[in-house]
Amino acid sequence: MASVRINELHKGDLPWIIEYDESKCIQCGRCTAACSFNAIYPAAETRRTNSIASKNKTERVLVIKQNISLENYCRGCGMCANVCPNGAIKAIRNKDDKYSVVYRAIKADSFKKGGRSNLNTEGRTLDKIKVGRISQMTDPSLDAQRHTFELKTPFGRVLKADKLNFDIRDGEIIETAQLPPVRWIYPVIFGDMSIGAVSWRMWEAMAIATAYLNEVMGIPICMCTGEGGIPTKLLKSRYAKYMILQIASGHFGWNRILKAMPDMTEDPAGILIKIGQGAKPGDGGLLLASKVARYVQEIRGVPKADLLSPPTHQGLYSIEESVQKMFLSMNAAFKFKVPVAIKVAASVTSVSVYNNLLRDPYNIVGGFFLDGLAAGTGAAHEISLNHTGHPITSKLRDCYLAAVHQGRQGEIPLFAGGGLGQSGSFAADAFKLICLGANGVFTGRMLMEIAGCVGNDTGKCNACNTGLCPAGIAAQNDNLVKRLDVDKVAQNLVNYILATDIELKKLMAPIGCSTLPIGRSDALITVDKHISNRLDIQYGC
Amino acid sequence: MTVCKIKTLKNNIRMSTQELLQTIYKKIEDGVTEFDIEACGQHDIGSAVWNKDGKELRFHVTNPGQRVGGMAMDGVKILVEGSAPADVGWLNSGAEIIVQGDCGDTAAHCAAGGKIYIGGRVGTRSGALMKHDPRFEPPEFWVLKNTGSFSFEFMSGGIAVICGYGCEDTTSILGNRSCVGMVGGTVYVRGNVKGLANCVEQTPLDKFDKDFLKSGMPEFLKSINRGDLYSELTDFSKWSKIIPLPKELKEKKIPVKEFISKEWFKDGLFGDLVEDDGEVFTLAQSGKARLRKPVWNPKLCVECDLCKNNCPQRAIIKQDKTYASTDEKCIGCGICAAVCPRKAWIMETL
Repeated sequence: MASVRINELHKGDLPWIIEYDESKCIQCGRCTAACSFNAIYPAAETRRTNSIASKNKTERVLVIKQNISLENYCRGCGMCANVCPNGAIKAIRNKDDKYSVVYRAIKADSFKKGGRSNLNTEGRTLDKIKVGRISQMTDPSLDAQRHTFELKTPFGRVLKADKLNFDIRDGEIIETAQLPPVRWIYPVIFGDMSIGAVSWRMWEAMAIATAYLNEVMGIPICMCTGEGGIPTKLLKSRYAKYMILQIASGHFGWNRILKAMPDMTEDPAGILIKIGQGAKPGDGGLLLASKVARYVQEIRGVPKADLLSPPTHQGLYSIEESVQKMFLSMNAAFKFKVPVAIKVAASVTSVSVYNNLLRDPYNIVGGFFLDGLAAGTGAAHEISLNHTGHPITSKLRDCYLAAVHQGRQGEIPLFAGGGLGQSGSFAADAFKLICLGANGVFTGRMLMEIAGCVGNDTGKCNACNTGLCPAGIAAQNDNLVKRLDVDKVAQNLVNYILATDIELKKLMAPIGCSTLPIGRSDALITVDKHISNRLDIQYGC
Repeated sequence: MTVCKIKTLKNNIRMSTQELLQTIYKKIEDGVTEFDIEACGQHDIGSAVWNKDGKELRFHVTNPGQRVGGMAMDGVKILVEGSAPADVGWLNSGAEIIVQGDCGDTAAHCAAGGKIYIGGRVGTRSGALMKHDPRFEPPEFWVLKNTGSFSFEFMSGGIAVICGYGCEDTTSILGNRSCVGMVGGTVYVRGNVKGLANCVEQTPLDKFDKDFLKSGMPEFLKSINRGDLYSELTDFSKWSKIIPLPKELKEKKIPVKEFISKEWFKDGLFGDLVEDDGEVFTLAQSGKARLRKPVWNPKLCVECDLCKNNCPQRAIIKQDKTYASTDEKCIGCGICAAVCPRKAWIMETL
């Protein structure tokens, strides 16, 4: 008989309670076999028997029980219910959850989790904005299904017409100096999730979807590698041209990139210098040892240990220096032929950073990526996830308007991300941000969800940090990773982008745009007066 | 029967469209069948009128406004001397409309019958939404020179002939983005075509096509007084036709799986880094897919057989006082460990 003490973890403290119906259970063991968190177990329970004929007044019966443990506890992923043939078991959300309180009290450590903040699920700004300008009478609207649209956005430093290095000689236009590289890409970027943060199968599925969309569907989508390097094989293949290589403060994977360079046949699509991320601003990357598999160790050049990237690039001490040093080096990496952009967590100071970049005298700043606080992550301290960061919408708008006021909008393309698709409306979110001034958006969350992630914004699963991802997306163990069907995930990613493409056109058509309506905030209205004032868009009621 | 001449400008005062059309209605009512109209941009000349005895109505028009021959009917012939602005033959249901000069935008828009002959070029979106009701002859739309962009949008029937005369240096005689959403009909073209929508295909002419063009060409050229061009325009070396692609060809997507097997790395992207044969594990699968496996400790076992009897997979075998769990059957559920009274089975995490 287990003794119960008050100052311990109790079942009622756990975030999820297992509801088990013994009368339906056939004791097949599938639920316990499927649970990657080891949150349930079969147990022999002693029961009183009512039979008067029996001398023995007790009997032992087999039941399924819930682990009450700081380590092995239910995250509500629902795999037990998925696999039960009789619907005998399911996880129920516990309203009285105080797991993270007890965790801190017992462990003397900050509480860590993966996924996303679970505090920002209501009152999304983007949901209060509508596409309010319908042009059927004022200028020709288009037919979303049948007209041709060009969904392309520049990635790279765009020079004003009078700054182009052109001259006219003998009636011909000639380039007098090498122009800054610009790629015309699809306005949705597969957002930087590293090899390590996601499983090799998930990463490969994203790479396949990227290649397929470019080569079969003619959709020039790019994928950012994340900071965990890139397989040399991919780098040396023709698919390298769809990849945006990331360099973050950990500088993981660049040794292999450099060694592969002489054998590369294509330049990559771009380089993204990651300074910070919206989910945990101020932090560097965090990959817990449980996920540092052997191949991750190889690519990154590290042992099996918790990998904490420093909070900042260690050689950079100011905005000016990041421009001069980091942008110069990364431009030099591919001989000034590959656009280089920077990604920061949206912050009160983002506009200062953007203004500084806009002054870029060397034409080497190829893009500014802003990541909002609703972004997801593989692992973070809960306190960072829930309490640090800046919403994406107003900050993106501030940056765009700062450029407009200088007459320099579009010169350094803006990309926005963080929590897009949170309310199931990814294309609408993307479209609205584009109207507010974004050249494009990036997403990791949607890719996860499409791949079968069961997590959500209200505390379901969010265990990406543990390496026990039940869907094989954020795991590194063979037995979990191989749950993920690469072919199907790649197909679903492709399908989702094709659907998004149709939906983006469905919003472009009524406002009469066959090209991206970047900065067309006149197309938007809001039903909220504060949002109207803050974003400088029309108020409608 | 005498020709009814109407001058629409008198003492510098212009007759309104309504006045002109009502004059025409009155004259038709009186039995007039032939009109000579010096127009001043009045709309809808020749629109929705007919002779009650089924006689032909003829209009000779100069300087018309938009929609000349718009909603025109069987038994009507309209000849425009010079050019005409937008919407010539809009919704034409059977009239023969000749414009000897150029036309503005959306010529033959929604035409579903009759013939429209243009002696010059036509503007954007011409031939858009042309249709064919199979109970009647298809509409024909002949143009001597070229069309503007976006022409033949959503075309669903009828025949257009764009002769490209004098447009040999033009990059595209249909401008850009023509035939978007075209689902029916045929557009014959002579000369360069670029920027076509991807829902159509451009193919060579067959005998039927050539016979059609040869037989229709003399009447067209005669109507615009260019009979001299017959041999040049019936040299079929530069002609082709545009028709909608069948639905299955429009959706020429290959499944991602096929792309992977044909184009992707043979042993996978991570083939040199991890061991992965591509097998997809199901939840609660036996063997390598297990998350945990039972390990037996002979020192604690009392041979009660509870593990063996309760194993849902019948994975536990007993031989000479030794118990073993068969990997191929065991899913790692832990029931053996749960029922064992002596903790002789423990579950090891894999």
